[in-house]
Amino acid sequence: MKKINIEYKPLILSALFFLTFGCKKTLDINNDPNNPPIEQASPEVLFPSAVMGTAGSVGGELTILGGIWSQYWTQSNASNQYKTIDTYNLTRVDFNGPYDNLFAGALADYNLTIKLAQAKSDWRYNLMGTVMKAYTYQVLVDLYDQVPYTEAFNGAANLQPKFDDGYSIYVGLLAEIDAALAKDFTSPLTADQAKGDFVFNGDMDLWVQFANTLKLKMYLRMVNTKSAEAQAGIAKLYADGANFLTASAGIEEFEGTPDNSNPFYEYNIRRLNTTTNIRASKTLTTWLEENEDPRTETYFDEESPVAMHQGDFAATAQDQPTYANATVALQKATDPVWFISESESYFMQAEALERYFGGAGAKAKYDAGVTAAFADAAQDGAEFIAAGGAYEYKTGGSFEAKLEQIIVQKWASLPASGHTIEAFFEQERTGYPKTSAVYSTSDAYIPGEWVYAKNGVTANRFPKRLVFPASSRDRNKNTPAEVPIYTKVWWGK
Amino acid sequence: MAQNRTITGTVTDKEDGKPLPGVTVVVKGTKNGTQTGGDGKYALNVPSGSAELIFSYLGYVSQTVPASGNSVNVILQSDSKSLTEVVVTALGISKTKKTIGYSETTVKSEDINKSAPVSMLGGLQGKVAGVTISNTSGSPGGSTKIILRGYTSISGGNQPLYVIDGVPLDNSNIGSDESYDFGNNSNDINPNSIESMSILKGSAATALYGSRGSNGVILITTKKGTAGKMVVDFSHATTITQVASVFKPQSTFGQGWDGTFIESENGNWGPKYDGQMRPWGAVIDNSQLIKPYSFIKDNVRNALTNGTEFNNNISLSGGSEKTTYYFSYGNVFSDGYLPSDNDSYKRNNFTVKAATTIGDFNIDGSVNYVSKTQRFVAQGQSISGIGSSFYEDIIQIPQDIPIKDLRDYKNQFFNVDNYFTPYAENPYYSIYENGSRYRSDRIYGNVNFGYTVNDWLKLQFQQGADVDNAGDKQWHNKNAPSLGSYNDGGNVEGSKRAADVGRVVEESIKTFEYDSKLNAIFKKTFSDFDLDGVVGVNYNDRGSRFLTTQVEDLAIPGFFSLGNSANKPTSTETERHRRLFGAYASATLGYKNNLFLTVAGRNDWSSTLATGNNSYFYPAASLAYVVSEAFDMKSTPISFFKLRASYGETGSDTDPYRIFDVLNATNVALGFGNIRFPVAGVAGYSIANTLNNKDLRPERVKEYEFGGDIRFLSDRIGLDVAYFNRLRVDQILPVPIDPASGYLFQILNFGKVRVRGIEAALNVKPVKTTDFNWDLTYTFSRQRNMVMELPAGLDKVIINNAYDADLVAIKGQPLGVFQAPGPEYSPDGKIVVDATGFPVVAPTNQNYGNIQRDFSMGLTNMFTYKSFSLGFTLDYQKGGVFYSGTADLLNFVGADVKSTFNDRRPFIVPNSVQKITDANGNFIRYEENTTQITEGLVDDYYYPTTNKAMVYSNRILDKTFLKLREASLSYTLPKSIANKIAANRAVLTVFGRNLLTWLPESNRTIDPEVSNQGVDLASEFGEFRTAPPVRFFGASLRVTF
Repeated sequence: MKKINIEYKPLILSALFFLTFGCKKTLDINNDPNNPPIEQASPEVLFPSAVMGTAGSVGGELTILGGIWSQYWTQSNASNQYKTIDTYNLTRVDFNGPYDNLFAGALADYNLTIKLAQAKSDWRYNLMGTVMKAYTYQVLVDLYDQVPYTEAFNGAANLQPKFDDGYSIYVGLLAEIDAALAKDFTSPLTADQAKGDFVFNGDMDLWVQFANTLKLKMYLRMVNTKSAEAQAGIAKLYADGANFLTASAGIEEFEGTPDNSNPFYEYNIRRLNTTTNIRASKTLTTWLEENEDPRTETYFDEESPVAMHQGDFAATAQDQPTYANATVALQKATDPVWFISESESYFMQAEALERYFGGAGAKAKYDAGVTAAFADAAQDGAEFIAAGGAYEYKTGGSFEAKLEQIIVQKWASLPASGHTIEAFFEQERTGYPKTSAVYSTSDAYIPGEWVYAKNGVTANRFPKRLVFPASSRDRNKNTPAEVPIYTKVWWGK
Repeated sequence: MAQNRTITGTVTDKEDGKPLPGVTVVVKGTKNGTQTGGDGKYALNVPSGSAELIFSYLGYVSQTVPASGNSVNVILQSDSKSLTEVVVTALGISKTKKTIGYSETTVKSEDINKSAPVSMLGGLQGKVAGVTISNTSGSPGGSTKIILRGYTSISGGNQPLYVIDGVPLDNSNIGSDESYDFGNNSNDINPNSIESMSILKGSAATALYGSRGSNGVILITTKKGTAGKMVVDFSHATTITQVASVFKPQSTFGQGWDGTFIESENGNWGPKYDGQMRPWGAVIDNSQLIKPYSFIKDNVRNALTNGTEFNNNISLSGGSEKTTYYFSYGNVFSDGYLPSDNDSYKRNNFTVKAATTIGDFNIDGSVNYVSKTQRFVAQGQSISGIGSSFYEDIIQIPQDIPIKDLRDYKNQFFNVDNYFTPYAENPYYSIYENGSRYRSDRIYGNVNFGYTVNDWLKLQFQQGADVDNAGDKQWHNKNAPSLGSYNDGGNVEGSKRAADVGRVVEESIKTFEYDSKLNAIFKKTFSDFDLDGVVGVNYNDRGSRFLTTQVEDLAIPGFFSLGNSANKPTSTETERHRRLFGAYASATLGYKNNLFLTVAGRNDWSSTLATGNNSYFYPAASLAYVVSEAFDMKSTPISFFKLRASYGETGSDTDPYRIFDVLNATNVALGFGNIRFPVAGVAGYSIANTLNNKDLRPERVKEYEFGGDIRFLSDRIGLDVAYFNRLRVDQILPVPIDPASGYLFQILNFGKVRVRGIEAALNVKPVKTTDFNWDLTYTFSRQRNMVMELPAGLDKVIINNAYDADLVAIKGQPLGVFQAPGPEYSPDGKIVVDATGFPVVAPTNQNYGNIQRDFSMGLTNMFTYKSFSLGFTLDYQKGGVFYSGTADLLNFVGADVKSTFNDRRPFIVPNSVQKITDANGNFIRYEENTTQITEGLVDDYYYPTTNKAMVYSNRILDKTFLKLREASLSYTLPKSIANKIAANRAVLTVFGRNLLTWLPESNRTIDPEVSNQGVDLASEFGEFRTAPPVRFFGASLRVTF
């Protein structure tokens, strides 16, 4: 029996020996074969992803929100999809997608792009990343008033970042842009790198223009509440001879195939069972028709679109027999998403010239804006801005009268821009287009004025922001107390 | 020496008079002995002068008989089962049940197969205390969900480990998702090849499985050959399948919307039924169909058909003293309740087993091959732009339209162009034109080498393997209403139905699992003490590879190939691989055959944890005290009394690849749809949304258990009770974090979940006579679950959600609380409404109950009279709630009974107030609400886009049910008849499964057992437009030759 004992003991002992010393290698199989390690990240793969992330939200869900709240479109009475938007009934559980995707997607990738670029003194990706980060942040600040900035993107080191007020974030972003502009980013991108720059194909001069135009936009946002800072900032831009965008900044590369299309189209047309949710709103169509503006063709594919009154989805067929055939907004899978359009650049310059430089050159910029807007819509605006034309710039009136002309034209230029949310922000900032005291069914209604949505739940108060999302509220105790949707943001008028 | 003589004889069983093979016969006081053969006969050379022979057989009372004459026939009586019952415990080690100090339940082949289920657990519902078995699918071959002792793992690893003849069995369901349920892999096992199943619920019982034992273990022992002449078993069952229960719609209001009859609407929001003849649907060539405007009874049920299921099995077994063999073949064809065989399941199981003994060595092995083909009709939400879903389409048919007539889906009135509504599609289109097919070829088996070293030590080596090569294809046909047709805006509402572009998905699924173990098994007696146990090592290597490729937008309709599109196919690959080393030991020390102490421990080294942080030890100890052996209780009615106590720890290592942070190929989620890289020839990678963790520890379960088993009146009454307290700590979970951190989730160890419960099984035999027996088994279990701790700073963790309803873990509450938007209340409890009269959504989500059952009970009743036996099983599950996506859609289309509130006339929300605020939103006062919900908005009251505050109470429903799970009547044919077909035994059975379902009044929607959210904790969320369950009626014949 002793003898046999000797036979099995070594067996077990050698097995145990194998376990303790042999298993280290055998167990070292935990590197993910499906996804590369984060150490392999480079600006070349991160930056295009992030830009598409910004376009996906701004040009997707947020353009639906902006388009309905800017009263280009309204919810069809025969379907449901956007009723919460069209009744201003958005709660913390709505619009978590753009918040999540912009923070954990686009902004996190810009942040790492910038970090990697700075580490190897690649000031081109540093500028590109910084400008896009600032643009993306500006959208979030304007929507939510406060978001995390100074404590954001620290991963496990800070799971509950504090919220910063919108003005501080603006100041921080402007400083980041200035720092990036101060570097030498003149060495050209390689052909492959340039291909990965969906916005300007590697043209750094255009990135500088984008940076300047974005700065101009952010300073203009500040005119109501930080007027001195706004004026100083814009004065410096002009004093430094800043170039502004002369072409639209954005993405035109959509292939139009599934998973590779304009995000608004992919969301609202390709992936919904009902493609006719978004119908023409009287607010826009009455204005276009009054001015005999041919852009009805561009926006609605019809010379005389049949429109619904804003938010009037509960009307029955007897009340509104025409609603059944209300015109659907025209959308294409290859539509571009602009971040800032060419015409917007001119309109902002016109406003700046009127505000701070006595109006010299403002008309030219306004005319260029209208011309570019018509061109963007594949129409000719020449006769509209000509003397006696419907959109002739009237230089004689008060500053507010001129501002109204500029902002209303900007509003009319944005329905197909892929960032309709800008028209919503500008109305909150300037009050144009004006809000109507009566509903659009009234004879007293003035075409183009914004009406309070028929089934709005906020007691005649227009929406001014989004409430803090559940994805922050439920996970971060630093999320500020809920602010009603009709409370203006920090720069609001 | 004295003369020897040969004594011969037969040993038979007292119960049935059948010969008993394998009975040990020895001459008392010597080692001289033999065993009875397959015919119960023996022959033993006995020295003259030998006084007595001892006949012993496991499970029978040993007999000592005088060795007189040349022939000694003996009748053995089965022992009080409680003393000799042998059960299979961890690592497949057989033990006398009385020696184990934890709860264990064995179910036998007969219980498993009584009603000829196709899956091995299909016949056990309601039969085992503390075991919840749910058929989550209404389609043949769909998944089965098993939970032992409730949920403790928040991350959703709550499924038990399956071990078949000592080898872990793959139970993944990689190809399945919310739309397609191709079943979990444990369903591949042929229940007819199972000898018994041993269910180990607690951690003391499963500690030897270490980091795979935390959810309990189901040990499956398959049939094998026994010495004797060849035995042939044959069985056949023919079963009819039909839908068990469908939703019950309101029967007052018909087609239309906002109170108006609109012939193109998909809702039941029209006027009241008036029985008048009305035209409906599209006008084609100036003609239109007419039908009465009245409710059609059983409309949905009549839209479905009866399916058939055939289940055939044959096995051949036998062998000699040294070598045995077993071969079986099983064949299943099952067609579900949808018309056509596009919901069907075919399975072929082959098993070959052999065992042989050569001196001190024994070798045995088995090889099993399973081939299956399953076809599944997509359930759940339709894939927008691709194609619709049958169950969504069927709900969107107003109840005055005869659904079954639409089956002629190419008819000019029911086709793509002219189907009556542009808001949904003809449900039959998706049955006939879309589909899926899953095919798998799987081989599993093992080889064992045993060496008996001496009379107290045995060495065993086992190598097991389980390899599955599967693939599936899913297709949606392309269709679009033609230009200007009824569904292209030619209807009264001018609405257009979007085109379905069609899609083809091809998936390849490979799984593998190799398991090796080396055990030394010892057993020794020293005077009053018995010592037995095992020392061993285990190496497990398993993984999977999943490749899915798809293309959208077919060029040629009806041709389903990845190349048939202008678009390029996209592909994703997911590989997972993990390894585990284990070393373990267990020993049981018995004292005077009445007190048994077992200690066990296992150390695991896992590849999924960080190096240096991947070695973990799991201890266990249990004590069994057989009071009825320690003390003489013969004068009491107690025939057996045992007490048990145990403590054990088990664990659960994490999934692979959760240690190092990674990038993901960029996919921009849009809400609906995506933008996927590459874009315009540019590749993109993005920081993964989940932050991994180098410091992960395995989840650990610590559990203690007390119990007892007491039987009275010669086991006529038996009660087994267990109390357990299970604490799961260090849960591993992707915890949602603020997106501003740069991530959406972080993998963390955190928190504690405790579940305490009692389980009881009462067995009573009120009548026990030669001709008539009555046997009743009642099971009861109640589990109380509590989340004790969550990650710092988080007050809840979301487990699953849909349409803003969240299933969450909240500290201090049971695991799985439903939270969803609810109305804001004024301080005096009135509902606050907005300017339009609709309730305002409260700033925080409201609780709508939790998933926990109050209790579960089962009752199995069996009458046996001569050759007849009649049995049934009831299963009652009380309490808990679930989310119903079917209810959501039924409310939307106004088919739900609850949508007829106030006869659909305008109403003011009862007990409501308006909150008056100033321009800045500052509160001024509450005023009584006088704003009506107008007729045009009544439907909006039932849908979340307009009334988020109130709709959730109509879709989060009570999940109580009572089911008649099984009923069967068997007749054993008289031997004389059986013999005519050369058979020894023939049994004819008629049976039914899932025959009757009672649901509470508040749930007229769907059976709460079904789910398309997987088979774990997340599935407790409920269902999202899932196929309703199936019921079965059938007859079977079992013959043994």
